[in-house]
Amino acid sequence: MLFSRRLMLGLAMVGTMAGALAVPAKAEGPTEVDLFFPVPVDGKLARDMGTLIKEFNETHPNVKATAVYTGSYDDTLIKTRAAIKAGKPPAAVIMSANFLLDMQIENELTNLDALIKADGTTKEQFLGQFFPALHGNAVINRSVYGVPFHNSTPLLYINADKAKEAGLDPSKPPQTWAELTDWAKKLTKREGDKVTQWGIAIPCAYDYCGWMMETLTMSNGGRYYNEEFGGEVYYDTPSMLGALTWWNDLIYKHKVHTPGATPGPAVSTSFISGNAAMMMLSTGSLTYVRDNAKFPYKVAFIPRNVRNAVPIGGASLIMPAGLEADKQKAAWTLIKWMTSPEKSGWWSRATGYFAPNMAAYTTPEMVEFLGKNPDAKTAVEQLDVAKPWFATYKTVPVRKNLEDEVMLVLNGKKQPKEALAAAQKAADETLKPYNAETSLKLP
Amino acid sequence: MSLAEPAALPVATSAAPRLHLLKRFTSRFKASLPAYLLLLPSLVFLALFTYGAMGRVLIDALYQRATPKAPVRFVGFENISAVLADPAFAGAVVNNLIYAVGTAVPSIALALLFALALARTHAVNSALRAALFLPVLIPMVAASALFLFIFLPNVGLLDYYIGRLLPVLPNWLGDPDIALYAIMVITIWKNAGYYMLFFLAGLQAVPEDVMEAAHLDGAGPYRRLRHIILPELKPTFLFVTVIATLNAVTQVDHVFVMTQGGPSNSTNLVLFYIYQQAVEHYDIGKASAATLLTLAALMALTALSFRTMASREGGP
Repeated sequence: MLFSRRLMLGLAMVGTMAGALAVPAKAEGPTEVDLFFPVPVDGKLARDMGTLIKEFNETHPNVKATAVYTGSYDDTLIKTRAAIKAGKPPAAVIMSANFLLDMQIENELTNLDALIKADGTTKEQFLGQFFPALHGNAVINRSVYGVPFHNSTPLLYINADKAKEAGLDPSKPPQTWAELTDWAKKLTKREGDKVTQWGIAIPCAYDYCGWMMETLTMSNGGRYYNEEFGGEVYYDTPSMLGALTWWNDLIYKHKVHTPGATPGPAVSTSFISGNAAMMMLSTGSLTYVRDNAKFPYKVAFIPRNVRNAVPIGGASLIMPAGLEADKQKAAWTLIKWMTSPEKSGWWSRATGYFAPNMAAYTTPEMVEFLGKNPDAKTAVEQLDVAKPWFATYKTVPVRKNLEDEVMLVLNGKKQPKEALAAAQKAADETLKPYNAETSLKLP
Repeated sequence: MSLAEPAALPVATSAAPRLHLLKRFTSRFKASLPAYLLLLPSLVFLALFTYGAMGRVLIDALYQRATPKAPVRFVGFENISAVLADPAFAGAVVNNLIYAVGTAVPSIALALLFALALARTHAVNSALRAALFLPVLIPMVAASALFLFIFLPNVGLLDYYIGRLLPVLPNWLGDPDIALYAIMVITIWKNAGYYMLFFLAGLQAVPEDVMEAAHLDGAGPYRRLRHIILPELKPTFLFVTVIATLNAVTQVDHVFVMTQGGPSNSTNLVLFYIYQQAVEHYDIGKASAATLLTLAALMALTALSFRTMASREGGP
């Protein structure tokens, strides 16, 4: 009896203490904000982010920002959504640029127009700081929802030694699909039926595969998706059929590309080890190639069949919906600081992404860096022909609808035409609920 | 009067024992109160993080949105029937069955073999046991990252050695016909050493005198294995089978790291399907329904196996 009563008393005391601790101390101090950030490429980014936020806190006594590492791009989306559901959204998130539309459809984003207006600038002036190619993934229905933070485009990487060996001039890289096919044939080495050196490698794993399909389709004159409306994709079209047929031909007709779906790391390893003489990969891998290739290499634009065009990749800074006014203000200060020319350039040099803020390229540090690493310039130059990254209602499943079929083609299990018809059908099915609410909701 | 009397009787007779029962119950409760209080902390946490979550899944499985902007509405069993009608779910179940059988049987067979070979304790065997147990100590995610490079087409460790023998090098993780088996090899490599521990423990329980008697009676190694060791190991077999089956459903780290369910859904297992529904499709209703189905199947399986185990242990 006594024992249990004492226990009860003890429990009651613990309870009150916990209660007292739980009540937040209302003290005047800096506004505390959380920044969710993913590390999509390698571990060094986390340290760089720590440095960046430390500098921000030292120069902004009114705000105390905390960088919270949240895993991959996908994990970051999950954690942000979980935090929004729990009623404690982070003040700012570095979000994969093609997730913005889906989040906006789900009412999970703060419209940044009012904040821009409060600063006394117009939307056009604000967006004017960034490369035009990046606007598409930041603006939805003419409102700004994201601020570009770090971005990429796909590039053609060439092993210069192998090219010279095959009698090709690496300073004049292939510009069309015809030239690229020719190069790849000359760069493929065989011993009987066995290939000892592949002409070209193009990655295909979930995420990368869709991006490469968009790259090839755009170079073939296509669009992949409707940039103005999230309920349509153009999979079963001549431009995509040409793109997939060419990829299929590289494998089964010209035999210059490994059969099957090859993930990104396998492609870069293959290139570094000399097993593949050329590859198409993101600018995000440039630092990795620069640090690891033991041979001279050359980067070039993605060759065209109809026109030069590539999608962008990378991430934007966003603010989740449902933030208190003071947090919103603090987060806006942080976002503007992180995307300023100086910080944007610093982050670009640290990570290998290109800096979205155009003024970053006129800072003395950046001019010096580009002088030392001219290959970093190619990605920036290619931005002139870059277009937005596909973003639809339920971007990931709609992308997978295509990727699953492309993988079957690359494995020789389906022909391009029937695969694309199947992908279109599956994607239309995934997009159905959104169309039911928008394009097919009639008066 | 004659009507009231029989009606009053049962009340009078039953009231006393009922009171008595209540008293006994309260006194018993009072006696065990400290025990309940001591259990309380873990009960609170179980309720918060296990039963609470399960309850939430149960509720979520009953609701669905028709369109993105529409409010969630009660749909009853519609989510469950939608999951059952989804070819991707059926595919994941089939993959998971192949995966469960294809990993449980070889890893248990290997574990038994290792345990029999290393049953006697001496320096060499201890070292070998440690070597075989090593994969268990490596986190699945780390192991998957390592195997990602072993399986690299053309340049990976595997192709480097096997490549000389095969005319065409397989794309281990990129070919939908091979990828699931590549994943299974890792699971077997990782789990065989763990199951070996259970068999080693089981072998300690084989009575020494029975073995000696069999030896004296002239039973050879095969007959001793077939008629003495294996029957004695039956409970171990059952236990390991349950663990292996549960692992086949709950351990999908390597799918996340290596294939993401691809290529073309060929390595999509049930747990990964649930992840896809919840995260990629943002369809909490369907994800919860799939979770419920999986949970029900696992619970039924576990209950069945442990009941068989209990009845066998209780038997002669």
